[in-house]
Amino acid sequence: MANEFPFEISPMFEGERVRKDDMFVELAGPKSRGFELVKAAGLDEIEDGRFTLIGPDISQMQEGSRHPYAMIYRIAGKLVEPDLEAIVERRNHDFQNYIQGYMHLNQRYDVWVRINKDAIKKGLKSFEQIAKATMMLFKNELPFIEKIEAIYVTEPEEVEKQRAEAIKIYEARDARTRGLHDEDVDVFYGCTLCQSFAPTNVCVVTPDRISLCGAINWFDGRAAAKVDPEGPQFAIPKGEIIDEKGGEYSGVNEKAVALSGGEYSRIKIHSFFEYPHTSCGCFEVVGFYVPEVDGIGWVDRDFSGNAPNGLAFSTMAGQTGGGKQIIGFLGVGVNYFRSPKFIQADGGWNRVVWMPKNLREKIKADIPQELVDKLPTEEDVSDLKSLKDYLEKKQHPVTKLWKKEEASAEAESSDGDASQAGAPAWSVPAPAMNLPAGMPMMPPMQLGGGEGVKIVLKNAKITIDRIVLKGKEK
Amino acid sequence: MDFNTAKHAKGAKIFGKYSTMKVIAITGKGGTGKTAVAGMLIRHITKGNKTLLAIDADPDSNLPDVLGVKIGKTIGDMREFMLQERDKMPPDTNKERVLESKVYEVLTEMPHYDLLVMGRPEGSGCYCFANNLLRGIMDRILKNYDLTIIDTAAGLEHLSRRIIRDVDELLVVTDGSRRGLQTAERIRGLAMSLNLNVKKMHVIANKVTPENRARIEEYARELKMDLVGVVPFDETLARFDLEGRPLAELPEDSAAMKGVGEIAKRLGL
Repeated sequence: MANEFPFEISPMFEGERVRKDDMFVELAGPKSRGFELVKAAGLDEIEDGRFTLIGPDISQMQEGSRHPYAMIYRIAGKLVEPDLEAIVERRNHDFQNYIQGYMHLNQRYDVWVRINKDAIKKGLKSFEQIAKATMMLFKNELPFIEKIEAIYVTEPEEVEKQRAEAIKIYEARDARTRGLHDEDVDVFYGCTLCQSFAPTNVCVVTPDRISLCGAINWFDGRAAAKVDPEGPQFAIPKGEIIDEKGGEYSGVNEKAVALSGGEYSRIKIHSFFEYPHTSCGCFEVVGFYVPEVDGIGWVDRDFSGNAPNGLAFSTMAGQTGGGKQIIGFLGVGVNYFRSPKFIQADGGWNRVVWMPKNLREKIKADIPQELVDKLPTEEDVSDLKSLKDYLEKKQHPVTKLWKKEEASAEAESSDGDASQAGAPAWSVPAPAMNLPAGMPMMPPMQLGGGEGVKIVLKNAKITIDRIVLKGKEK
Repeated sequence: MDFNTAKHAKGAKIFGKYSTMKVIAITGKGGTGKTAVAGMLIRHITKGNKTLLAIDADPDSNLPDVLGVKIGKTIGDMREFMLQERDKMPPDTNKERVLESKVYEVLTEMPHYDLLVMGRPEGSGCYCFANNLLRGIMDRILKNYDLTIIDTAAGLEHLSRRIIRDVDELLVVTDGSRRGLQTAERIRGLAMSLNLNVKKMHVIANKVTPENRARIEEYARELKMDLVGVVPFDETLARFDLEGRPLAELPEDSAAMKGVGEIAKRLGL
């Protein structure tokens, strides 16, 4: 079948580069314009195998010249639906790179194509040959495509006109993609890239939660796992829902055991306080619990100052990193702030009490509008006292939690000293930062309760050089 | 067939063509003239029929200047671009494809060879994912060339991170000083501890004079280094260096070019 073409077609040509010295023609690319687009159509709207070219053909092009280039495919089939368009479109890159002497780079309106002089010598003279080969591969490899036709455009004005239309289609598609949530998929993705320095790290990437480093979203995980299922990114079937709001799934828990070497058996993807996601060390932003205001502050890697708790990103990152599940701290990627499920188990944005100004500006559009002005930055507050005053003055939603707290604290004030959270002890640095890394830490969780703090030390090896106890100076 | 074994079998078929695909890294202590040697070697090889990729992997070096090539952006810039832009890209963007295209954009295409500059080092963020993509991309790019020559600092960065994998031969450039050869020994230890799988390591003595030649040869023997050749001290080269003129303009019959030609012959390049 393939011998109807003057070129070889094989996956072994993937990655073949056409150098400038060997190039007959360059199409689209950074110095010109173009795009690729797949559109679904009705079965009766398509004449299978038809090819249309608008503009000059290869044989009319000069050696060494550059031209705009658009490739439009219309596909039909009983199972073909608009949601498949993007997935099919992405395969154009794969299939065209199977063609010897033809280099296809990038995607969508960034495509970049070169054709080798050798290919021309061997008899390539028309885009029809390229399009027919590509359509053949589409139909062979994706059998749900029953009919396909191709329209290639090399005429500059027509490329521009069609490109504007294509961009509208891409935008509509992106809006749909952004509307994909955890509940819409059966599979999440895991990543082990950080395990070299965070061996118990369990990185779970879902449509509503980007990786901590900010580099891998659910689609990246899917793309990588498809290419190499045994590679650093792999599928995690969700399994049963255990806690929808917290984001706990049986499949994730099972994988957590395997990935952490038995260290962790429960992960709640959208929880800060209960079985939070582990933190590798790569995270872009670290969240820290501020017991004095019962809220959560966030500080990003680029902020060099101290957060209101008196600690810098590097200090908190040092404490949090290493692939541990640390209650009171949580590493996240910046894009997680844009998630509709952002720490939803703990009140979401209503619980956020501080972040650096640059970070707030970066994600301003995604902060609930009524909260933007109530969320202080380093310009508004400098320590815990001024933070509390600010939140109170602005009537930040977190203050509603205080009222409940005060009420319960008053009711059981007999042994109030045991509860650190209830006491307005400004001089106490929030979490104990000097504990050796590797030791599970439990900042006070029984907010306002009278029972005190429960500390569980599992498998702990503690070395202390010196402890100095001092009485209160009066 | 496993690609790695295929690659070293002489004349394995890649992309339907026969290719010997060899990767050579040139390194050495700063000031020994490793970049000049790399530049002359590249110039020598481009006279033949091999497809050649030159990689400047030393942020302190100036291989493009030595070759007389003006470059724009670097791989480091493109990696940074990915980090800055990733949140703005459509969520299902295939980032490997985007980065690959960006790497191709910064590949300077010269007659007879291409030049890639690694450029700026990593910033403070996490580069795990970007580097992981880059590894695959570099693997694929290297397959397109019969020969890749990498100018790299003595710390062997980019090799240690496996951004560039499977270096076949390591050429360590040294000058007449004992320290240059001691650095060569350290590099040998480093290459071994990094498990770089380097098959051969050679030493090239640069700026050699009739006075120091015997001593260099003796040092090399003591350290059990394979001295593959010497580049004589060359007045013309020194003047070019001083004036910042690209070595591409160096006369063919200059002593240094002749020395490099001999070395290339011995290395089978």
